[in-house]
Amino acid sequence: MSGLFSAMDVSASALTAQRRRLELLVTNLANAQTTKTPEGGPYRRKDVVFESQSVEPFWKVLSEAEQEPLEGVHIKEVVTDKRPPVLVYQPNHPDADPQGYVAFPNVNPMEEMANVMAARRSYEANVRAFEAIRELVRRSLEIAR
Amino acid sequence: MSDLLIQRTSPFQQLHELESKLPKKEEGSDSPNFKDMLTEAIQDVDEAHKVSDQQIQKVISGEVQDVHTAMIAMEKADLSFQMMMQVRNKLIDAYHEVMRMGV
Repeated sequence: MSGLFSAMDVSASALTAQRRRLELLVTNLANAQTTKTPEGGPYRRKDVVFESQSVEPFWKVLSEAEQEPLEGVHIKEVVTDKRPPVLVYQPNHPDADPQGYVAFPNVNPMEEMANVMAARRSYEANVRAFEAIRELVRRSLEIAR
Repeated sequence: MSDLLIQRTSPFQQLHELESKLPKKEEGSDSPNFKDMLTEAIQDVDEAHKVSDQQIQKVISGEVQDVHTAMIAMEKADLSFQMMMQVRNKLIDAYHEVMRMGV
């Protein structure tokens, strides 16, 4: 029975991955002005690296070696953006350096919003794909009707 | 002529004849019979429902944040249940068909 649903598992993995990405993007946006972090210094922008991952259980990959295994996606790692913080002249800010400059996070709200939209559209696309698979199974069940 | 009459009136006899020609199923042979397959399929459906129940519980209790996981588990349970229902309908149809058969 599980073979019927392996394509659904691919869609599900994409949904999970995009949801996690969206979470990180929202974190970036929320911390766009954060100058203090537990590690010290301003907040640093986070991003995700996706990696393909087989959704079939291991024994199935072995037994159906001639068939191309279905590959889902998962988040390999969360990376910190290497771009330097933005220095803004604000001498009265508590986190200002001796020269009066404050290091603000390297988050560009416009870029983040564009990424949020991309993640959202990607999520929606995968939901649609899931619906297509579901409809396919439903239609095939109607054959017997 | 009598052969034809028998053929037309007693399909069961033919079935029995056919059955006697089939190789006898040995005890403990590894070829699964239809009943076992059906039981297994029903267990699969039951398993899908249990998984979906667990996922919904996890989402409600806040253990898992992904709503879509629960939804997908529900869809899977629904689809496998529908598949089981179709098989069941076909079986019952066939049963009725046999019951209506004139002897």
